[in-house]
Amino acid sequence: MPYHEVEETLARALTYLRLSGIRVTPEVARRALRLVDSALEEGEQRLLARVMERLPDTFPLPEEALPPQTPPLHHASVHYADSL
Amino acid sequence: MSGAGEAESVPDLTGRWKAVAVMRRTVLTLLVVGQTLAGVYGMLSVLPYHGGDLLEQSILLLFALLFAWISVGFWTAMLGFYMRRRGGDPQSLARRHDAATLAATPLARTALVLPIYNEPVDRTLAGLRATVESLRASGQLDHFDFYILSDSRDADVWLAERAGWYALCRELGLEGRLFYRHRPVNLNFKSGNVADFLRRWGADYRYMVVLDADSVMGGDTLVRMVRHMELAPRIGILQSSPSLINARSAFARFQQFANRIYGPLFSTGLAALQLGEAAYWGHNAIIRTEPFMAHCGLRRLSGFGLFKGSIMSHDFVEAAYMGRAGYQVWMEPELHESYEESPPTLVDELTRDRRWTKGNMQHIWLLFFGRRIRFAHRMAFINGILSYLASPVWFVFLVLTSIEATRLTLWPIDYFPDPQNSMFPVWPEWHPHWAVAMILSTFFLLFFPKFLAVADVLLSGGRRQFGGFWKLLLSVFLELFVSMLLAPIRMLAHSRYVLEALFNVSLHWGGQNRTDETGWLQALISQAPGTLLAAGWAALALWLDPMFFYWSLPVALPLILAAPTSVLLSRVAIGRWLRERGLLLTPEEQRLIPLVSTVAEPAPLNPTPLSAFEVAVIDPRLNRLHRAQARHRRTVEPDTLRQWAQRCLEQGPATLNRFQLNALARDADSLAWLHRQAWRATPDGYWGRRIGQLGVAVRGA
Repeated sequence: MPYHEVEETLARALTYLRLSGIRVTPEVARRALRLVDSALEEGEQRLLARVMERLPDTFPLPEEALPPQTPPLHHASVHYADSL
Repeated sequence: MSGAGEAESVPDLTGRWKAVAVMRRTVLTLLVVGQTLAGVYGMLSVLPYHGGDLLEQSILLLFALLFAWISVGFWTAMLGFYMRRRGGDPQSLARRHDAATLAATPLARTALVLPIYNEPVDRTLAGLRATVESLRASGQLDHFDFYILSDSRDADVWLAERAGWYALCRELGLEGRLFYRHRPVNLNFKSGNVADFLRRWGADYRYMVVLDADSVMGGDTLVRMVRHMELAPRIGILQSSPSLINARSAFARFQQFANRIYGPLFSTGLAALQLGEAAYWGHNAIIRTEPFMAHCGLRRLSGFGLFKGSIMSHDFVEAAYMGRAGYQVWMEPELHESYEESPPTLVDELTRDRRWTKGNMQHIWLLFFGRRIRFAHRMAFINGILSYLASPVWFVFLVLTSIEATRLTLWPIDYFPDPQNSMFPVWPEWHPHWAVAMILSTFFLLFFPKFLAVADVLLSGGRRQFGGFWKLLLSVFLELFVSMLLAPIRMLAHSRYVLEALFNVSLHWGGQNRTDETGWLQALISQAPGTLLAAGWAALALWLDPMFFYWSLPVALPLILAAPTSVLLSRVAIGRWLRERGLLLTPEEQRLIPLVSTVAEPAPLNPTPLSAFEVAVIDPRLNRLHRAQARHRRTVEPDTLRQWAQRCLEQGPATLNRFQLNALARDADSLAWLHRQAWRATPDGYWGRRIGQLGVAVRGA
């Protein structure tokens, strides 16, 4: 298996973590390496897909509370005159 | 809901304004009519047959209309100058309550609503951020909620808006106070957008402040507006007079300078004439929500052609309806810290004017068939209509005067232009000195108010704010020159728009440029008809009579030079060059105003090279946000959605049309599927490359 595929898989995983709000510390990087390593042990096919599938189990991704997009509805009417 | 009766039941403690308004308007009418009659008399002397035939009578009629129109502007400016020199209008709202009374007035819940439609997201949200921060600095933020009301049609735009809203909520700590509502069907344009807000949440607020996409308002000004409304329950709408800011191109800088130096005079004069029957300009205004909902719903027009369907320019009509319901509408020029921006180029301005022309022409129907609308608001309709109708009137006037010149040169002299009423021959007379006097008096009406505005600045000790006396004077002459160059171009464009509007057709004669600066080829193509027309007219004039040729030049030359004028004025480099030399400066540029400077060059909300749709697919947090806000009701079959998603995955979003992209962006399952698949895509595939680019951007950040 070409070396760059492993490298790209690791880079992809770290980018995902970073975008998810996880700070990439040496500990996080080591865990990501172990994840790639374990996926590699199962074979070279679909390495990237397997790593990305397992990423949420290895790293619980933070789920920030989303702000309410709109407040609760408080229905009222807009009135139209009988004539222009 | 309150009605007209309720408005009438609230005591009007300042009822004297009505008598003052009647008096001022009567004086204005007498001055305008008197001046117009004098002008017509002068024109009668200029015309060779002294109005003795149909052609000359038509010329006279059009001249009277145009002369009256510029006379209104002239006397409005005179009144504005008078009011400003005496320290302000004693009838204005600003003079009604002292600072202590205002400060002691409790605030009421107010919604700031920002209706947007495919606007530049970075700039729009930067303006909102600046307004929020200013309100925070005023210490009264808690009384306000904020609504971004999007009608945007492109997924790339509304996804960026929603991502921007999310970022702004977090940045400003406004979760649960700053809201975002996207309307998939933009029924009835902007007024429908605001009406939709009112139906859902209007009952929660006593007031709403309507902003435009490029609006910025100061917190203290907003607080003051709410307090004025609280102190005067009969006021339905309070309009501020926005100043232009952040101009970069030469064109925008000229508009900004003109607005900043001449604007106060005209707006003060206008406010002094309108008093409690002012117009609403659609933004930078506060509205009493309950009567607005009770009386300002806009019916569809029931006529024909243009006069059938939704009302496009809603603001004047809403002000008229508010007035009809017994509420007052005020425009207060002394409400400072109210800003907007100028279109960057002539092309952008004319594109906007095309919409506005149509909207104002629609008001003809309301002018005649609108019931119980106050006379002052009918006058406001006429004012808006004439703003555009004056252009074709001027155009026809030029055509008729050309025919007159042609007739005098080529045709035999008609000694009996009115044979039934005259036994004696009429000798055509031509008095060039009277014609020159007429031209000079017209120029005086047009330009004297501008010099009066300069005098007002000098007398107020504000010359340094405009770069000092000499630079101010030079800037004014430059502005005069450019406004003379632009006037015929606008006249021809507006004439075309009026024709389009009245005949309800679209006359295309060249592509519209929507980039920041106008390109040469586009300008040459779009201005070619005007250039050819003017060149033909000038050639005819030269052939007929060299003197007529010289007369034609002030109109013909700007049209011949329209393309270079349009291109050069659109240049940011020229705008910068002018600024560096201290020309066309405005007070906001002279001193650092955080409210203004923070929106001048906003930081991009999406600093990556990816589109908002691509970011929505890839970014885990934003993908989750968009999924959470996606609609649960599907309008497209799941199988079809999956086919589109598959194509998007394999070939990228550019292979999908707007409808397909919108459908995918609104569907939570599709977004989740695309997100999952994109992150599993090979590095050399479409999404793999995009993730690589995003990764580089994130690492760089």
